[in-house]
Amino acid sequence: MSNKKREMVVLTDVSLITAIVQRGKADEIVKAAQEVGAQGASIHYSHGRGVRERLGVLGLVVEAEKETIQIIVSSDQANRVFESIYRAGDFDTPGMGIMWVTPVEKAATFIPEDILEKFGREDRRNPFDVRPTDA
Amino acid sequence: MPKEIRFGAFVREVNSRHRYLSYNHVTPKLDHDDNGEPVPVRVRPYKLGSTMALRLIQPYVGIRLIDQMRAVLPLALYLVLFQIVVLRSDIADAWTITAGLVAVILGLMFFMEGLRVGLMPFGQALGSSLPTRAKLPVVLIIAFLLGIGVTFAEPAIGALKAAGAIVNVQSAPYLYTLLNDWAEVLVLGVGIGVGAAAIVGTLRFLYDWSLKPLIYLTLIPTIGLTFFISLDPELSKTLGLAWDCGAVTTGPVTVPLVLSLGIGIAAAAGKGGDGMSGFGIVTLASLFPILVVMGLSVYVHQSTTPADIIAAAQLSNGTADTTPWFDQTPWVETIAGLRAIVPLVIFLFLVLTFVLKEKLPHPGKISYGITLSVIGMIIFNLGLTYGLSKLGAQSGGIVPAAFTQITSVETSPLYDWLVGLMIAIAFAWILGFGATLAEPALNALGITVENLTNGAFKKKTLLYAVSIGVGCGIAIGVAKIVFNIPIAWLLIPGYITALVLTFFSNEEYVNVAWDSAGVTTGPVTVPLVLAMGLGFGDAVNAVEGFGILSMASIGPIISVLSVGLWVQWKVNAQHRRYDETYEAEKQILETGASVPSQSE
Repeated sequence: MSNKKREMVVLTDVSLITAIVQRGKADEIVKAAQEVGAQGASIHYSHGRGVRERLGVLGLVVEAEKETIQIIVSSDQANRVFESIYRAGDFDTPGMGIMWVTPVEKAATFIPEDILEKFGREDRRNPFDVRPTDA
Repeated sequence: MPKEIRFGAFVREVNSRHRYLSYNHVTPKLDHDDNGEPVPVRVRPYKLGSTMALRLIQPYVGIRLIDQMRAVLPLALYLVLFQIVVLRSDIADAWTITAGLVAVILGLMFFMEGLRVGLMPFGQALGSSLPTRAKLPVVLIIAFLLGIGVTFAEPAIGALKAAGAIVNVQSAPYLYTLLNDWAEVLVLGVGIGVGAAAIVGTLRFLYDWSLKPLIYLTLIPTIGLTFFISLDPELSKTLGLAWDCGAVTTGPVTVPLVLSLGIGIAAAAGKGGDGMSGFGIVTLASLFPILVVMGLSVYVHQSTTPADIIAAAQLSNGTADTTPWFDQTPWVETIAGLRAIVPLVIFLFLVLTFVLKEKLPHPGKISYGITLSVIGMIIFNLGLTYGLSKLGAQSGGIVPAAFTQITSVETSPLYDWLVGLMIAIAFAWILGFGATLAEPALNALGITVENLTNGAFKKKTLLYAVSIGVGCGIAIGVAKIVFNIPIAWLLIPGYITALVLTFFSNEEYVNVAWDSAGVTTGPVTVPLVLAMGLGFGDAVNAVEGFGILSMASIGPIISVLSVGLWVQWKVNAQHRRYDETYEAEKQILETGASVPSQSE
């Protein structure tokens, strides 16, 4: 490696979609999200309380074990992925789960070289940075 | 057609319509009492319309139904098609059998769900808190009793009892008496074997015992006793039954319940978690019952004579013209279902209350699960009698028509003796191969094995090794019935081969291979193969049709151990090659020479 200062690419315009569904449903939902362009997802195992109990006898068919899916998407994609998950997860049925979108200030990961080339390497100023410029 | 569409309108058509609603309108408003303190919110249950309820229930039922259909339908279709296409005969009582198969699917669905919701939480609660509340001897006694309890709850055990009715008292009196007069004792004996396995398995969890010496210690007396029994012509007819019992026990109730207890104990002692600790209990649970049942048959041999049994059987046949109400469908199945589950539940409940002094977690949910498993067991038992056993017996009874004269098939033998025999054996092979490949438990085992061996032992390799092993085992079992080969001649060399292979294999492959034998015999395969063997034996006038299942157990042990040795050899060879290149490279570096290494 040369002694050039290490470069870091910061991604902006990022949204986080979080969906909590019954255990075993995550694969199907991640697939639906990927079909509309989501890159990947992480799945956590968790336990849920509340809705199951309020469904009474019917609550027995809802798993207490949940899968929490987190998907990082671009803000352009957010709506489309949100809708795709909604349909794949049957969120219009009681007990199926809940999901939400949160804006993400910034993210960083590996960005392939060709994409960097395409958008130039110029040092774009961080739009969230409110410090006075050193002019 | 409009030439221009506003992009906004297009997006609205393509996407769902969004309606916005403030969550503030949805959440409850806090009330305040007279002192200004907030009143705790009372959670009101939701009221659902019938369409909503249906939408909620439909996927829940659907997944579970499809799971069981996958287990039952391919096998049943194979038997039916084989009978119609190759043997050119119709299915007798087709509607009864169809109804029976539907009952099997529904029964298994209810039972498995009930097991998951009702019985498994019991097992987990027991496993995690028992070791901290009680001393080791108490824990071991409870593990032993649990082993007996789960044996009675095992759905395939019912098939064993049903098989008793087919055995001819004249030709195999000891077998007849074991399956009829001693049926309850027989199941208890199997249970004691499983209980003993639970004790040894738990100790193995705690002290990290190697499985190899346990296998040697169990198998050597088992083979010895087999040899001893095979010397007595009357007694040797019970050998097939004894060895089949081992395959019957390791089903969907025993394995998870005993395992969850063992893992809980190991976790409480700070042991386990190395992945291998889950193995071995299944092996022991299928070997110990064999020993116990053989002991029982020796005892029966000592206490009664064949003549007495035949006389007693004829006496009871004479008097039992009118079957009492509790021996008629559906009462006999209902009683069997209750007897399978209720004692186990009572036992678990007593342990929970008096040993652990804990309250039942989620009593409503657990009683729902238990009710479901009882209902499932009853429906499954009905399906067993009218579906699986009947279909299996029918197929087994008709397959010999391919090569020999059979009264029920007029044009038999359908084919040349040799060709027909090949067809019959191929039929058995494909049956074993297909049924095993479809077994979901095997798939799970395959994934575990691939992880444990870092991919050296591929999941697919294991799946095919086990399936081919079972296929060959069942084919040999059928050949055994046709040629009337004494089962000891097959079992003793088979298990001695397995012992030799075990001696040379890695501990990991030993664990996997011996467990894969138990995993393959599920609640659908066991009754089907058992009934098929008995029907087959009946059709070719063999003395008894047992032993196919035991051959299906030894088959995969040998095949998986062999494949394991091969994989081991391949990995070692690869390592050696790497070492050689590494040595060569090191030499080059040390001498600083850029030329290829020279001989010194």
